[in-house]
Amino acid sequence: MTGRHRIYLALGFLGALHASVLLASFLAPYDPKVQDRELPFTPPTRLHFVDVRGRFHLRPFIYTCEPSSMPAAPCVEDRTRAFPLRFFVRESSAGLEVEKANLADRGAELGVGGLKRRHWRLFGVDQQARIFLLGSDGLGRDQFSRLLHGGQVSLLAGILAAGLALGLGLMLGAVAGFYGGWVDELIMRGVELFLALPWLYLLFAVRAFLPLHLSAVQSFFLLIAVMGVVGWARPARLVRCVVLSARERDYVAAARGFGASDAYLLRRHVLPQAFGVVMTQAGILIPQFILAEVALSYLGLGVAEPVPSLGNLLAELQQYHVLASYWWMFLPGVALIPVFAGYYALANALQEGAGVVPT
Amino acid sequence: MNTENVTAATLVGHGLTSLTALSVSRGEGRPYVSRSGMTTTALQVRALSKAYVQRRTLSGKTISIEALRNVELTLQVDCTLGLVGESGSGKSTLARCMSLLERPDSGEIWLDGKNLLSLKTSELRCARRRIQIIFQDPARALNPRFSAVELVAEPLEVLRWNTAEARRRRALDLMEEVGLSRQWENRLALEFSGGQRQRLAIARALALEPRILVLDEALSALDPPLQAQITKLLLDLKVLHGFSYVLISHDLRLVERAVDEVAVMHQGTIVERDKVREVFAAPRHTATQALLESC
Amino acid sequence: MLRYFTRRLLHGLFLVVGVSLLTFFLLQLAPGDFFAEMRLNPQMTAESVAALRHQYGLDRSVATRYLLWINSVRKGELGFSFAYDSPVASLLWARARNTLMLTLSAMLLSWLIAVPVGLGCGARPGGWSDRLCLGATSSLLAIPDLLLALGLLFLAVRTGWFPTGGMVSPGFDELSGWGKVRDVLSHFCLPVATLVLGTVPVLVRHVRAGVVEVLASPFIRAARAHGIPHRRLVARYALRGAAAPLISLLGLTITTLLSGSLLIEVVMSWPGVGPLLWEAVLARDLYVVVGTVMFSTLFLVGGNMIADALLLAVEPRIRTE
Repeated sequence: MTGRHRIYLALGFLGALHASVLLASFLAPYDPKVQDRELPFTPPTRLHFVDVRGRFHLRPFIYTCEPSSMPAAPCVEDRTRAFPLRFFVRESSAGLEVEKANLADRGAELGVGGLKRRHWRLFGVDQQARIFLLGSDGLGRDQFSRLLHGGQVSLLAGILAAGLALGLGLMLGAVAGFYGGWVDELIMRGVELFLALPWLYLLFAVRAFLPLHLSAVQSFFLLIAVMGVVGWARPARLVRCVVLSARERDYVAAARGFGASDAYLLRRHVLPQAFGVVMTQAGILIPQFILAEVALSYLGLGVAEPVPSLGNLLAELQQYHVLASYWWMFLPGVALIPVFAGYYALANALQEGAGVVPT
Repeated sequence: MNTENVTAATLVGHGLTSLTALSVSRGEGRPYVSRSGMTTTALQVRALSKAYVQRRTLSGKTISIEALRNVELTLQVDCTLGLVGESGSGKSTLARCMSLLERPDSGEIWLDGKNLLSLKTSELRCARRRIQIIFQDPARALNPRFSAVELVAEPLEVLRWNTAEARRRRALDLMEEVGLSRQWENRLALEFSGGQRQRLAIARALALEPRILVLDEALSALDPPLQAQITKLLLDLKVLHGFSYVLISHDLRLVERAVDEVAVMHQGTIVERDKVREVFAAPRHTATQALLESC
Repeated sequence: MLRYFTRRLLHGLFLVVGVSLLTFFLLQLAPGDFFAEMRLNPQMTAESVAALRHQYGLDRSVATRYLLWINSVRKGELGFSFAYDSPVASLLWARARNTLMLTLSAMLLSWLIAVPVGLGCGARPGGWSDRLCLGATSSLLAIPDLLLALGLLFLAVRTGWFPTGGMVSPGFDELSGWGKVRDVLSHFCLPVATLVLGTVPVLVRHVRAGVVEVLASPFIRAARAHGIPHRRLVARYALRGAAAPLISLLGLTITTLLSGSLLIEVVMSWPGVGPLLWEAVLARDLYVVVGTVMFSTLFLVGGNMIADALLLAVEPRIRTE
C-alpha cells in the first residue's frame, strides 16, 4: 500500500472514531450525569437472543439486574420479564420520572441534558430497565454513555490543546527564526526553560498556581489553556529551524531584491515550509495531549466532575475494591488504545511521506 | 517548440511581437517609473569597501578579511561588462553589493543621480527594481513549489502591479521572450531543466524592466552548448529591453563572447579595465596574466 | 574542551535557577494558600489562622519570602513543608532516592532490552522478525502508561504474585536483612515493569531506524563487497554508526521516564517524588512544590549534560566546534 493510501486509511479510521464520539448524544442511551443509586457497579448487561423458552428473537433483549446479596455476583438477572432493545427512541416523558426521583438525592445539582432536551437516541430500553452496555459506576451512571461523552471531552481537549500549542509554536518559532537577534535569543531561552522540566512536572507546576476548585466547564478550558501554553516549546524549536534555513534561500534574497516586505516573504515563502513540519507534529502532539489530559484528570487536576472525561472515568480505579472487583471500569482506558493506534499510524505515514525513516 | 533550439529568426520574430506588446503595455502603465534624463552612465561605484569578520580571538580581537578595497567602477548605458578574477578576488561580493543584497562598509553607489546607499527604506525599495541579480544556481534561486507563471510574475505581485490577470499575461509574454512555451505556465519549477530554470530566472528579472542586470556566475552551472544559447538570448534581450549587464565569471572564454568590456579583480580591487580584446591580447597586470595562463 | 563544559555547567545552573525563580514567583500568584483550607474548618478562628500564617512567614512580602527561601536553601533545608511540618530537604532526599532507584533501573533495563532487539529488527528490514518487531512496538505504544499501570495492578490483585503498591509490606522491620531486600524488590517489580514497557517500544524503534539508516549507507555496501559477513557488519559498524543519534535520545528518555515515573508512583503508591508533588499541589504546600520542581530540573539537566559528554566522546567531530 502506498504512502498516500496509508495516510488516507489512518485519517479515515481516526475520522470514524471522532465522528462516533461527536455523535455521543445520539449513540449513548443515557445522559452521562443521570444516576441510579440503586444500581451501583452493575456489570455489563448481557444481550440475549434466545429466551427462557428457547425461542430465538432477532431483536435482542435484556433482563433487569436485581441487586443480590451474594458476594460473587453483585446482581442477578430477573428472567421473569424481558425488555427488548428498541432503536431510534425518543427520550420519553416516562424517562424523565427517573430524573425527578434523582433530584431529591442530588439536591441542587442539575444535569443539563436530561430534563430539558427531548432528542433522539440510537437505542434504548423501556424505562423500568437499564441497559448498561459497559456496566455502571459507583453512582449507577451508565459507563457506555459516560465513555462516549468522556471520549468527546478528552479527544476535544487533546485536539484543542495541540492546536493552541502548535499555533503558539508556529508564531514564536517563525518570529525567532526570521528576525534573529535578541528576539531569537529571548525566545530560545524561553524554549529552554520550558524544556528544562519533564512535561508532567511542568504541567503540575503550572497547574499548581491556578485555582484548585473550579466548575467543570472552567476546568476544561483551563486544562486546554495550560496544556497549550506549556507545549509550545518543542514545535517552536522545529519551526525556527525550518524558518532559519528557508530565510537563507536565494529565492528569498531575490524576492527582497524586488522590494518584498517581511510580511510577504513570511507569507509566501517561509511559512508554507513550516506548515509541513507543523502538520507532522500534529500527529504526534495530539495523542500526547490526550494522554496528558487523561493523567491530569485521573489525578484530579484536570477536568472536574460531573463532566466526564476518559481520565476522571478511570479515577474510580484509585479505590482498591473497584480495581479488584469491577473489571469493566477499565474500559475507558482500553478505548484509548485504538485512538492512539490511529494517531501513531497517521504520524508514521506522514513521516514516511516526508521521507523520514519512521520511529 | 523545442526551446533549446531556438533560432535567431524565430527569436527576432517573437521579439518583434513582444516589442509591439511592450509598446502597448507601456501605455497601460509600466512597472516602474520612467527614466530620468539621458545620461551615459548607468551605474557608478565609488570607493566601495567591505570586510568580513572571520572569527573572534579569545582576547576580543576580530580577524577579518577585506573582500573589497576602495573599488571604483563605472558602467555605461548599453554596456556589457565582464568581471573576472580568481576565487576570493571579491567579484561575488562586488556583485552582491551592487545589487544591494549586501551593504558595504563604506562607499557610494550612484544610480540615476542618487546614492543608493543613502536612501531611506521606501525610496530604496523603488531603486532596487532597477538593478536585478541572477544567481548561479537556479535550483536554489527559484522556489521549487512555485509554478512558472507564479515565479515570473512574482516581482509584479510584490509590487501589486495592475490586476492578477494582467500580471499573468505579462509573465507569459516574458516566458515567450526567453524561449519558454506558454503551455508550461503551470509547471512547477522543479520540473524544469537547469537551462530552462535559468531562462525563468532571466524572465523574472526582466519583469520589472531593470536598467542593470547582474549575472553572478549565472552561466557557470550550464554545459557549453547551453551557455552559448543563453549568451545569445541575453544579447538579444539586451537589444530589446535596453539594459546593461555585468557578467561575473571565472570562465574567460565565456566572458570573451558575452561582453564588450572586462574588468579584472585581484584581492579586492580592480586592477585592469578595458575592452575585452585588448585585455586578453595584451594583459598589463600580473593577475590578468596569471588568469589567462591558467585557462 | 574545558571551556565547553564550563559553559554547559553555567547554562545548566542558569536553567535550574531560572526555573526555581519562575516557579516560586508564579506560585505566589496562586489564590489561597495552605492555610486557606483550614479556614473552612469552623473550629479554627480567623485569628488562629492568621497567627499560623505569621508563624510560617506567609504574611511577609514576596521579595522577603524569596530571600528567606534562598537562605534556607543555603542552609540545606530548601524551605519548610506545612503539611509535613518538616524541612523540605529531609522529605525530598528520601523520596528522591526512591524515585532515582526506580528511574535509573528502568532506564538501564530499557536500554539493555531495546538495543539488542532494535539491532535484531533493523538487521533485516522487511523480514519476518522486523514485521513482528514493528507490530509489537506499535501495539505497546498504543497502550497508555496509565492503563498499563492499572492493568498490572489488576493482575497483581488477581494473581497475588506481586504486592499491590507501596514500597514495603507491613511488618517490614521484623524481616531479616535479605528478607528486607526481597520485600523491596517485590514491590519494585511492577513500577519498573510499567516504566520499561512504556519506554522500550520507543527505544526499539529509534535503534531500528538508526540501524536501517546506517546499513543503507555506501560504506556498508563497500564493506559488504569486501566480503565482511553480515553479522559482523551489524554488530560492529551499524551499532557504532547509530550510537550518536541514540545518545542524543538519552535526554528525551530521561524526560519521558521522569514524567512517567511521576504518574506511576502515584498510581502504585511508590513513595517517590511523584506522590510528594501531587499532594503538595493539592494542599498548596508551596515550598515542597518548588523543591520538587527544582529537583526534577536538576535531574533532567544533569542527565542531559551526561548525555552531551557521552556524545562528545563518541562523536569526535563535535569537538572542533
